[in-house]
Amino acid sequence: MRIAAALLLVVLVAIHADAQGVVAPSALTQPATDSWPMYNGDYSGRRFSPLMIVNSSNVQSLSLGWTHRITAEGPAGGGGSTSAVIKGTPVVVNGVLYVTIPDHVWALDARSGRELWHATWPSRGGWHIGNRGVAVLGTSVYVSTPDCHLLALDNRTGKEKWRTEICDLDQFYYASAAPLIVKNHVIVGVSGDDLDIPGYIESHDPETGAMQWRWYTHPEPGTPEAKTWPSIEAMRHGGGMTWGSTTYDPELNLIYFGTGNPQPVINGRKRQGDNLYTESSVALNPDTGKLAWYFQSSPHDTHDWDATQTPVLFDGTIDGEPRKLLAQAARNGWFFVLDRQTGRNISSTEYVKTNWTSDLDAKGQPIPNPRKEPQVDGALVSPNQAGGQNWPPPSFSPETGLFYVNATRAFSVYYLYENENDDKPQGWGGNDRGGWSEAMLLGLDYQTGKARWRFSWEGSPTTRSGLLSTAGNLLFAGDSANNFVAFDAAQGVPLWRAGLHASITNGPITYQLDGIQYIVVAANDTLYAFAATAPAGQP
Amino acid sequence: MTAMRPHHRGLLAFIIAVGGLLPPAMLRAQGGPADRQKVDPAAAARGRTVYAAHCINCHGSSAKGGPNGPDLIRSTAALRDRLGSHIGPAMRAAAGSHPATLTAEQIVDLSQFLRERVEAVARNRTPTAPIDVLTGDPEAGRTYFFGAGRCSTCHSPTGDFAGLRSRTPDALTLQQRFLFPTLTRSEKRVEVTVTPLSGAPVSGTLVRVDNFRVSLRDASGDYRAFSRVPGVKVEIRDPLTAHRDLLDEYTDDAIHDVVAYLWSLK
Repeated sequence: MRIAAALLLVVLVAIHADAQGVVAPSALTQPATDSWPMYNGDYSGRRFSPLMIVNSSNVQSLSLGWTHRITAEGPAGGGGSTSAVIKGTPVVVNGVLYVTIPDHVWALDARSGRELWHATWPSRGGWHIGNRGVAVLGTSVYVSTPDCHLLALDNRTGKEKWRTEICDLDQFYYASAAPLIVKNHVIVGVSGDDLDIPGYIESHDPETGAMQWRWYTHPEPGTPEAKTWPSIEAMRHGGGMTWGSTTYDPELNLIYFGTGNPQPVINGRKRQGDNLYTESSVALNPDTGKLAWYFQSSPHDTHDWDATQTPVLFDGTIDGEPRKLLAQAARNGWFFVLDRQTGRNISSTEYVKTNWTSDLDAKGQPIPNPRKEPQVDGALVSPNQAGGQNWPPPSFSPETGLFYVNATRAFSVYYLYENENDDKPQGWGGNDRGGWSEAMLLGLDYQTGKARWRFSWEGSPTTRSGLLSTAGNLLFAGDSANNFVAFDAAQGVPLWRAGLHASITNGPITYQLDGIQYIVVAANDTLYAFAATAPAGQP
Repeated sequence: MTAMRPHHRGLLAFIIAVGGLLPPAMLRAQGGPADRQKVDPAAAARGRTVYAAHCINCHGSSAKGGPNGPDLIRSTAALRDRLGSHIGPAMRAAAGSHPATLTAEQIVDLSQFLRERVEAVARNRTPTAPIDVLTGDPEAGRTYFFGAGRCSTCHSPTGDFAGLRSRTPDALTLQQRFLFPTLTRSEKRVEVTVTPLSGAPVSGTLVRVDNFRVSLRDASGDYRAFSRVPGVKVEIRDPLTAHRDLLDEYTDDAIHDVVAYLWSLK
């Protein structure tokens, strides 16, 4: 890792060394309110904070605390945008905020936004579509790179501790996901769908980087699930990437994540069958990488609807019984509530109107309508390829019982190309084109799957803003017209708004330091920290 | 050239036409190593000849494998290869089933051919052949236009759609414009009337709207902007609303029939 910090910054780092400290594993199972110690804030994926200095009664007093604009040169190689857009969620521990774009990590003073160090990685290529952020444990900061590396950096300096290759760049894999720390495991997923390659997720030793286990997102040959592919070769080249976020239930000792699209992406004619375990929610043992259960949200997908949206964990009541639940608003437009012990489906509901499903099967999985598979002369499909939801993270508030999703209803036309027109389609074999869309913020009742409230974003065809809910009865969200808005979480009514220089490009976070609650969100290359102070006499 | 069907055109012209609609990034693979070899078309063409002479029987006509040889697009040796660095040793390692007579130059050419094939697969999200959307029945499309589709409520084959085909680059564009129209080629605009808290309503052409602000240009050309505070009334008249509502009604058969009918309006 090349360090782009000048001597002055080294001095600053030395001054802040004590503040950066050591992150103990307990900081991850019981996160303190002065931190946002992992991608989703805690293991549940709810992006819910118990902080309430800022609340629905006083949110009008929220003001700008600091801003920080990142500047970075474009990637040294590979595809994707060269502009600096923050699409990850910052992590905050011990008063230090870590923020990333592909090949870059910054450590900032979480109280002021002042830079402590900036580490850059000389890239060998890979798709620079985005980086979702870091994980922290001990004195290490972990990050993945587009050219297939997992890095451990020293949290005081940004200097490299170790590097390990997690995928093969020559096979057109790349990495973008935020790693997750579970006990002594650094768990990280991979990306790539230019060529027909298998997806997997793997675990590394936090101290050495040594691989502990890898789990491929396809079944073992000979198992009943393997019969969902026409051949072992098709299965082993069948995609199913793991670029979303992973959640964890310490009590059940299971990690949860969603898998991506099957390959070839659009032309599915030579991979007849459900194509397990693509586009599924899966539960694994984090110590062994062994599969506990799966639920497939899009059997035999041909629309690129990766089911990598956050599997959000919460405890709720279904038909009067307390249940351990997992809920996901999937890219295909459906909202699924599962029992997270067993993977059994409790309910499947459209959260945006779709036109590709003919029915639900006995397991609660949507049955794709073959007429809405891509066609040579075009098939009008809703949602479009970007989906009802994509990577921007949702939120769940245990106070309101609502699952919040910044949703898009969209149409496009899916074409099957006659490229590579032989008996073995590879790569994509088609694409969608054109379209019309509208964006909306939804508060879904997990017990019914129905929206208790709906807020239409006027003038916003779609949005790339993630969500944050708090015990202050607030929900923070953005549109595509540069608005950052605080809503009454129970009612869906906007209470406060800030007009930024660009639209929100990540999920907002919150933390409290010295009696000040910060709400931090990114718009392209700039972090905005809004702040409110506790009334005198309150902590 | 406006009246020609896409598949009657030169392929290059079509690719340029399609490419004009797509962001440049879609024309190449999105991932992959920065240092992979750049395809030399002349060497790849020579390599195709070598492939046809020595490899095609086992590895198949498109290098995707056959009964007696593996898929080379999915082979790690081919994907890691740089000018023969991996495929040369791989062939030597399996000398019994591979020709021993290939020269170093032929192996480099073969490497260029295989790289060209890999890149073609990696770019396979972009069409390389015309998309033929003219599969519908023009007569059924005409019936839909004047009947269930209610298209003739606003449009006429002898009015605004006279000579439509001569104004449309190709049938694919026509299909897209029919399904997802914009006002860029129309004289119509989205109109808005704002009733402020005090004073008379103000009408004009919409400039921008979100949930919190609205702006317009009035008949005199003045720019007017308003905050959408409680009590401010905003009425938007979008000529395309009916088209958006139809997205929930169209069948794919009706879409293809209507496109065939509209393409017949020379």
